[in-house]
Amino acid sequence: MSEEILKALMQLFAIIAKQDVGLTENERKFVENFLKQQLNESAVKEYLALFDSFSKAGRPLEQITADPEIDNKPKLTSVKDSVKTLGIAKKINKTLTQKQKVVVLVRLFELVNSDKNFTPQRMAIVDTAAEVFNISKEELNAIASFVGENKSDKLDFPDVLFIQSEEIDNKHSHFIKSSQLNGRIIILRVKSVDLYFLRITRESELLLNGLPISNQRIYLFANGSVLKQPNGKPIFYTDIAAKFFSDSSVVNVSFTAENIGLTFPNRHVGLRNINIEEQSGKMIAIMGGSGVGKTILINVLSGIDDPTTGIVKINGINLHHEKEKIKGIIGYIPQDDLLVEDLTVYENLYYSTRLVYRDLTEVQINKKVDKVLTSLGLYQSRNMKVGNLLDKKISGGQRKRLNMGLELIREPAILFVDEPTSGLSSRDSENIMELLRELTVRGKLVFVVIHQPSSEIYKMFDNVIILDEGGHQIYYGNPLEAVIYFKKLDNQINSDIGECSQCGNVNPETIFSIIESRIVDEYGRTTNTRKVLPQEWSRYYKRNNKLSGEQKEFDPLPDAFKKPNWFNQLKIFFSRDLFSKMANTQYMVLNFLEAPVLAFLLAYVIRYIDNPASDIYIFRDNENIMPYLFMITIVALFVGLIVSAEDIYKDRKILKRESFLNLSRSSYLFSKLSILFIISAIQALLFILIGNSILGIKGMYFEYWLIFFSVSALANVLGLNISAAFNSAVTIYIIIPFLIIPQMVLTGAMFSFDKINRRIGGGQEKVPVIAEIMPTRWAFEALVVNQFVNNNYEKQFYEIRKLESQFNYKNVYYISELKGFVENYRAKIMTNDSIPISKNNIELLYNEITKENNLPFALNHNIIFDKTDHINPADFSMELAAEILIYLDDLQNYYRINFNNFNEAIDQKISSMVSTPKKQKEYQQLYNNYFNTYLSHFARNTMVPMPLVRLDNELIQKIDPIYLDPQDRRLLSFRTHFLSPYKNFLGKLIPTFYFNVMIIWLFTIIAYILLYFNGLKRLLNKLAQLSGKAEKVTGRLAIYTQKISEKTTY
Amino acid sequence: MKKLKLISIVFLALGILSLSSCRQGPKGEATDLLNDTLISAKVRMDDKLIGEMISSIPNPVEMSALLQKSGVVYSQELLNPVENIKNYNTNFKRAINIGVYGTDLVYMNIYDRTIATLKYLSNVRELAADLRVEQFFDYKTLNRLSESSRNIDSVLFITNSGFDNMSRYLIEQQRGNLAVLISFGTWIESIYIATHLKTVPPHRETINMRIGEQKRVLDNIILLMNTFKQDPAFAELIDDLMILKKEFEKVTITYVYNEPTIQEINGMVVLVDNSRSEVNIDQDIVDQIAASVAIIRNKIIN
Repeated sequence: MSEEILKALMQLFAIIAKQDVGLTENERKFVENFLKQQLNESAVKEYLALFDSFSKAGRPLEQITADPEIDNKPKLTSVKDSVKTLGIAKKINKTLTQKQKVVVLVRLFELVNSDKNFTPQRMAIVDTAAEVFNISKEELNAIASFVGENKSDKLDFPDVLFIQSEEIDNKHSHFIKSSQLNGRIIILRVKSVDLYFLRITRESELLLNGLPISNQRIYLFANGSVLKQPNGKPIFYTDIAAKFFSDSSVVNVSFTAENIGLTFPNRHVGLRNINIEEQSGKMIAIMGGSGVGKTILINVLSGIDDPTTGIVKINGINLHHEKEKIKGIIGYIPQDDLLVEDLTVYENLYYSTRLVYRDLTEVQINKKVDKVLTSLGLYQSRNMKVGNLLDKKISGGQRKRLNMGLELIREPAILFVDEPTSGLSSRDSENIMELLRELTVRGKLVFVVIHQPSSEIYKMFDNVIILDEGGHQIYYGNPLEAVIYFKKLDNQINSDIGECSQCGNVNPETIFSIIESRIVDEYGRTTNTRKVLPQEWSRYYKRNNKLSGEQKEFDPLPDAFKKPNWFNQLKIFFSRDLFSKMANTQYMVLNFLEAPVLAFLLAYVIRYIDNPASDIYIFRDNENIMPYLFMITIVALFVGLIVSAEDIYKDRKILKRESFLNLSRSSYLFSKLSILFIISAIQALLFILIGNSILGIKGMYFEYWLIFFSVSALANVLGLNISAAFNSAVTIYIIIPFLIIPQMVLTGAMFSFDKINRRIGGGQEKVPVIAEIMPTRWAFEALVVNQFVNNNYEKQFYEIRKLESQFNYKNVYYISELKGFVENYRAKIMTNDSIPISKNNIELLYNEITKENNLPFALNHNIIFDKTDHINPADFSMELAAEILIYLDDLQNYYRINFNNFNEAIDQKISSMVSTPKKQKEYQQLYNNYFNTYLSHFARNTMVPMPLVRLDNELIQKIDPIYLDPQDRRLLSFRTHFLSPYKNFLGKLIPTFYFNVMIIWLFTIIAYILLYFNGLKRLLNKLAQLSGKAEKVTGRLAIYTQKISEKTTY
Repeated sequence: MKKLKLISIVFLALGILSLSSCRQGPKGEATDLLNDTLISAKVRMDDKLIGEMISSIPNPVEMSALLQKSGVVYSQELLNPVENIKNYNTNFKRAINIGVYGTDLVYMNIYDRTIATLKYLSNVRELAADLRVEQFFDYKTLNRLSESSRNIDSVLFITNSGFDNMSRYLIEQQRGNLAVLISFGTWIESIYIATHLKTVPPHRETINMRIGEQKRVLDNIILLMNTFKQDPAFAELIDDLMILKKEFEKVTITYVYNEPTIQEINGMVVLVDNSRSEVNIDQDIVDQIAASVAIIRNKIIN
């Protein structure tokens, strides 16, 4: 207490004391006692002298007015004193907190009560002070009655509690029976500031926090206090607080944890047999050395992790199995800040509020946020960006407070807080703890993991749970008792005194030095062996404690907060994410420059002019168009991944907190995706516009854009998947190459599918299965097919060229190949070869001729070989060979004539297009601008060594894939050769471009579903479990994974 | 004959039209179209005859070998520029120019110009692909062979046999018109190079003699071309060749008969024909022929 305040108090005391009858001996004694508690001997004298001088001043005048003759008339307090009182009270107002003011007021009453002089003058002074202190009339009255009255019926207020041996029948006040108690303890609760005062009616041997108390005084019954009677059960602060809460308007929440145990997959035990039983309105500390499982416990209690054994019940509802029923009841404030770094203090709180309160209008929300900001002392810095730990914009204390505010605004019934004070100054720590303490006043249950609390903070707790190595619960109960309990067990002197009698300090460190004390060896060195093992502590604890385990009637749980509907959540998430991204200029600039810069670099570098003597760029001669198409898919993939890969990871902390809000995961994901898709769409547009125009790819902007966008969108979802599954940014960026490189390799651009390892399907009829699962392969194929088939030049010829190509293939290669087998047979027969034709070759002939027979034209033109059933090893003969040859000749003739017709038709068409020099020029322009020779080589596979290959006993066409329709037309087969112009889908032919786009989006949907159910993460956890079983080393990794695999999701 | 072809084209055009009108759907299957297409077997000059006549046209290797022996100076400018390929959009032009490039290729190979050769090789190959006869040029082998001047013989052989096979195949496939054009292309380019080379007197005469001998070849060519004159492109070319024919008319070839003798060569008795032709040609005529050839040749390569 400062000198100034003390002086002011002395003045106040004096003003009251000198009223009417004047200062009495009792009053003076009271002041002296009061001063003795605050000051040392010499200072007491000094202030007492000051008090005396104040109380004597103006006394003569008052003595006149206080003439006994006119004593029966009510006398008014002098104006001078009133004004003085007002001045002093205002001065006090400026420096003292509301709690302190209430204490001052109680002291004033005490002073008045010391002589039972409740005269109107005196009371007027007290009233004035109370008014200035902003203490309500009801509370004032309650305090007055509490101080002055002993009779129970006069104290029938809801804020009063009696502790005595016999029952009383008051309507409003509370009662605790204590049969051993001599006399009566009266407790007053000052609701507005959550303070309890205590007085006893008779002298007794009661000890308050180990110190004797007298019936002459009123004591503050602070948090964590214990009142002990010589031969009765001690009365704890929490008992009293609970009594007041039990029937207040707040819904009573009962929280029980029974026999909680947690064993990790690697058999490491995290928690053993933990029991907790708590009610609303309490604050519980979870303490213990490092690594004893405090955070694990809080994770289990809050429902983040499932216990291996035991159950956690909230009002009888199993937390882990009936999550649906306790939506929104639990709040969690982890150790790290859960703030959106790029948003301001205000915005952070604003979005949290919007997510929690559906019904509030914008104005109401703003008001609410402002109110919370003010109560947190953050109003001044509300427009500051939060920043991150390395790039601090607001101080650590402010971050913590804001962090707290995010939960406070929601007011969950049960709140878990993990180390709220770590890294904070003691001042900030106390502020934070005060905030939490205030929650309990409003009937919340608060669990706090805390490490090395200061005495002040330690005493704030109602109960403390102490854990020891290996997850043993070794203490659960009153914090001050804890000190005594361990001291006793350690056989220390003064073991029944919890706090320092002079200063009221408690040193929780004593507990830990006792718990963890080590054996000293014969040389006086401490060894690593503990004096008392955790198991032993645990045994002591269990011997002494049994939970009531009583089954009670539970209130229905309070309605969960009113969260917005799916769409509104989406909107809130969306705008929060959007603003946070927009606030990050670097991110925005880089993202929107990335695509155009890459496009420019890429396109400009590969803008190649074939003719060394010319400066004119001709699209047709640019050899790099195919690689460009390939790069489009890779850039799209890369850009899409980069944009999203850290997105959920960055949000993981916020998600962890919001997981308690039971918000819709899909609306969160949709908000993410909509923003990412918008970014990707813009990137795609910029990239394609710039890249294509530099390279002179004319038209088809939409198709190019669609492919780029589709791949990017898929990459966005993939990125979200990895960002949701992995625990660090580094891992995420290590994962990206794993996603990109196989896609590069298996696109079909860098390595021909014909020339990859045959074990994974290289050189076969269709695209290898392993490549089918590469989105880029579909994208690249779509781009190539689209560019080749749909450009303005080829568009005019494609369908005839396709026919021409098919007839050409059949005529030149296919029939000739078949003929070869038969002719070879004939030659071998001539030379009397023992095996003129192999079984396989016969089967091949059979297969291929059957195929030809089944072609529609065969029937129409009656070019059918009707002895196919003779084509078998037994019936194969010279006669049959001759017949086959005749048939093949007919067939070839048919193909040849058709080829010639189509070839000529094309030639006619071109001739007509180049019939005049002007037309010729136009044609040339069209050709140069739209057709690309090298892409055509690629699409037509002209460099293939074999135009057709044999696969088992069938012939597979290898040239002109772009002109070859899917061969496998069964209903469900959609796989084709690479660069097929159409895809078979349910027996219909769909243009490859659209089909492939659909496939990419199908991948996207699958990836989304995986993301929604967090499949990748589950898989990783499964792997971690398996490896945990396998080896000790990897087992460690599993713990690690388990530990930090915080549920970052809803 | 003309009518028949016309009908087939009309049908084809209809077919194509119906195709392009339903491009969205998968109707572009060969077989569908075929049902509506009239198959026309064209009536033409006997394929065998065409084949024989074509083989009477000297192949570029013969001409180039002679040039090399004559010690002429290699001149890149004489060749058809590589980039001209972009002008060859129709089968007509492609066929002629595949011949032209073929001759250029041989000419270059003889002078060991292997780097430039690659480009000509790729042009030949590309035109062959456009004509759908790419199977006769094993591009990879040729490419490999061209890397070293020691392989010239092989390259020449493959190129030459490639051309021969291609011609034979085209005739067989009833695309004799293209075979004629290819042969014409090789021939006109040979004449062009021969007439435009800078050379020294004694060799000049030999070369001139060979040029004069082409009189009969030209007659054959015109005869062949006439089979296809209903094609306007052919008709135009024939008109140009008639002008050239006029220049060649000035060349006189006299046939001197000598008794055949019987000789023993390598232990075999052979009847040797001692008759020979005498070609009468002077430099003026050569120059005029050169001018005419240049006009035709420049027309076809551009």
